[in-house]
Amino acid sequence: MTALPRVGEWRYSPRIPIGQDIGGDVLLDIRGLSVSFLTAGGSIAVTRDVSFSIAPGERLGVVGESGCGKTVTGLSLLGLLPARTSRVTGEILFEGRDLNRMTPDQMRAIRGREIGMIFQEPMTALDPVFTIGEQIGEAYRKHFPASRTQARERAIEALAQVGIPLPARRHDEYPHQLSGGMRQRVMIAMALVCEPKLLIADEPTTALDVTVQAQITDLLLDLSQRQGTALMFITHDLGVVAEVCTRMLTMYAGEVVEDAPIEEALLHPRHPYTSGLLRSLPRLAQRKTQLPSIPGRVPLPSAMPAGCRFRERCPHSQAGCEAEQSLRGFDDGRRVRCVRVEELNLPGAAA
Amino acid sequence: MSTVMRSDSPSIDVKQDAASEPLLSVRDLKLYFPTRDQGATVKAIDGVSFDVFAGETFGIIGESGSGKTTLGRALVSLLKPTAGTIRHAGTDLTTLSAAQLRQERRHYQIVFQDPSAALNPRQTILDSVCEPLEIQGGLSRAEREQRALEALSRVGIAPEYARRYPHMLSGGQKQRVNIARVLTLRPRLIVCDEVVAALDVSIRGDVLNLFAELQRDFGLTYVFITHDLSVVAHVSDRVAVTYLGRFVELGPTQEVSERPMHPYTEALMSAEPIPLPASMRTHKRIVLEGEIPSPIDPPSGCRFRTRCPHVQAMCAQEEPAWRELRPSHWVACHFASAEGPPGSTTAITALSN
Repeated sequence: MTALPRVGEWRYSPRIPIGQDIGGDVLLDIRGLSVSFLTAGGSIAVTRDVSFSIAPGERLGVVGESGCGKTVTGLSLLGLLPARTSRVTGEILFEGRDLNRMTPDQMRAIRGREIGMIFQEPMTALDPVFTIGEQIGEAYRKHFPASRTQARERAIEALAQVGIPLPARRHDEYPHQLSGGMRQRVMIAMALVCEPKLLIADEPTTALDVTVQAQITDLLLDLSQRQGTALMFITHDLGVVAEVCTRMLTMYAGEVVEDAPIEEALLHPRHPYTSGLLRSLPRLAQRKTQLPSIPGRVPLPSAMPAGCRFRERCPHSQAGCEAEQSLRGFDDGRRVRCVRVEELNLPGAAA
Repeated sequence: MSTVMRSDSPSIDVKQDAASEPLLSVRDLKLYFPTRDQGATVKAIDGVSFDVFAGETFGIIGESGSGKTTLGRALVSLLKPTAGTIRHAGTDLTTLSAAQLRQERRHYQIVFQDPSAALNPRQTILDSVCEPLEIQGGLSRAEREQRALEALSRVGIAPEYARRYPHMLSGGQKQRVNIARVLTLRPRLIVCDEVVAALDVSIRGDVLNLFAELQRDFGLTYVFITHDLSVVAHVSDRVAVTYLGRFVELGPTQEVSERPMHPYTEALMSAEPIPLPASMRTHKRIVLEGEIPSPIDPPSGCRFRTRCPHVQAMCAQEEPAWRELRPSHWVACHFASAEGPPGSTTAITALSN
C-alpha cells in the first residue's frame, strides 16, 4: 500500500479545473449538469452543478442515500428523463460531443451502442413476451447491419460471455423461465452486446442475494477489465463499490460532495458525509456496540437549505457553513465540497 | 468429541439450565404449501428444531427462498405448522381455543420489512398504534391513547406526529411507529423480519440501536431474521443459517461468523462485500456457482450439494446428520469438522464415527 497523504500535506490548488482527469484521456466529461423537474407548483431543482469525468476503462462508483440524485444523474446522461416534465442544463461531453445538445435521433445512435445501461430490477427491464435472445438480438441489430442468423449468433455469444450455461438453449427462453441472477446476466449481455465504451449500472445487484451479488460484481469487474469498458456504478452499498470501483463520487442532496480514488475515499474521507456513511455500516468486528448513524434525513428538493446542504446533519458544522460551498479541487486530484476540509481529520472505513 | 444425532430429532441447546425453560421451543417444524398447478408441494421449512431463551437475540440468516420469512410467521402463529411443534413458554398455541389464543399470542409480536405497507395509510399514527390495544380490549380510549403516546415517545417519535398520517413520516420514523405498535402490548418476544432492509444505511444504525435499548429496558427476546450478515452479526447472540428449508449451522454468532464449519456459511460470510480497499482485505472470497434450487424438488441428500465446492458422492445419497462439533455449535455437513468446513483438516470426518 502506498503512503497516503496526511492532513496538511496536500493543498488546495484552485488552478486544477473541475472535471479534468489529471494526465489522461477523458471519455465522459460532465460539466455543470443540473436537472429540474417541472411540477404544477413550479420548477424544482433536483441536482445542481454536477461535474465529474470518467476516463476510458475507469470504474466510478456513485454513492449516497436515496434522494441524493444518483439515479437522476444516470438517467440524464442518456437523455432518459421525460422531456416534457424535466429540464437538463449543462454539458455532457462524451468523447467531446455534447449529448445534451443532440437530437433524439443522434441520441438513439449512441444509447445502447456507445453507452449501455443496466437497471436494478431485471424483471421490469425485460419484455415478458419476447425470448431473451430476441431482445439481445434486437439491441444488436439496432446498431449493426446484421441478418437474423448473425444476430442470433451474436446473442448466443453474448450469453456465453456473461456465464450463462447452455447459451444456445437459453437464447429461446422467456424472462420468466430464468432466476433473478440469470436475468441480471441477460441484462448485462444485452448492455454489452454492442461493446459500449461506457456502461451505466444503477444498483445492479441490490435485488439479488449476497452469493449471487458476488457472482454479478465479479462478472462486471472481469468484463470491464477484459474489454476496457468504463463503468459508472450507482449504488448505496459501499462494500460493492470497494470491490468493483477505482474511484468514488459521493453525492448528497443533488450535489457532488466528494470525488476521490477508491482507497483514499474509504480510508481517509475528507467530507463528513462520506465519513458518516462509512461509519454507519455495521461490521462483523464490532458486535453489540452502539452503531454510529447520521441523524436526520436528506432535505427535500423543494426545501433545500442555503449554504452547505449537509450542515444540519453534520457533527462538524460551525459558523461559516451557512455560506455557499464550492467543490474545490486539490493538488492530489481529489475534490471536496466542505469549508473545513483543511482542518478536519475524519475517520474512514478502517477506523 | 462430537455428539451425533439424527437430523430430525430435537436438538438439545445451549444453557442447559434445568430451571430455564426456553421461551420458544421449536421441534421438527415443517411448513408445506401446495402449489396451484400440478399438485406439487413447496417445502418452505422442512424439519427445523431450535430453542430461543428469554433475553437473547436469536438470528436467522438466509437468502431468498431459504424459508426464513415463513419460519418467522409460524413463530407468531400467523401460519399453522404442517408438522412438528412450536411451544411458547411450554404451551403449544395450536391446542388453544380462539379466545385463549388471542390472550396468549399478544406476548409474541412481529415487525415486518416494509414499514409503509405495515401501516394503514388512512389511519393516523396514533390510531395505528392504539389498534392492538383495542383488539386486546380492557382499556378505555383515554388509557389506550396514553399508552400509545408512551410507546411512541419511547421509540423517539414526538407527540406532534401522533395525529399525522404515515405518508408524512420518513421510512425510519415509520419503522419506529411499527415498533411502538408492538411495544404497547408489552410482548415477551418480537420477531424482526428484515426490519432494516428497507431503510437507508445512514439510519439503519439508529433503528438497530433502538432495538438494543428496548431489549435492555424491557428484557425483550428477539428473533432477528435477515439476509444481511453484518446486521445479524451485530445484534445476535446466536445465529442459525438456513438453506432451502433447513438449518445448516447454528451456534454462537462470533463463532459462526469467524470460524464457520459449514461450506455454505463460509461462502456466505466471504461473499459479504466489505468497504475496505483490496489491499486491506484479508479473507479469500469464495464465489458459489448457481443459485438456490427450487423448494418444490430439493436435491437428494444434502441440499447444498449442487453448489458445494467440496461435494462428494456420499452427499447425494445421505442426509447429513445434525452434529454438535464444537460446544453449542451445530452443523449439518458430512465432511465438516471442529476445525472448520471440509478441507480444513483431513483427520476428522463424519465417517470416523
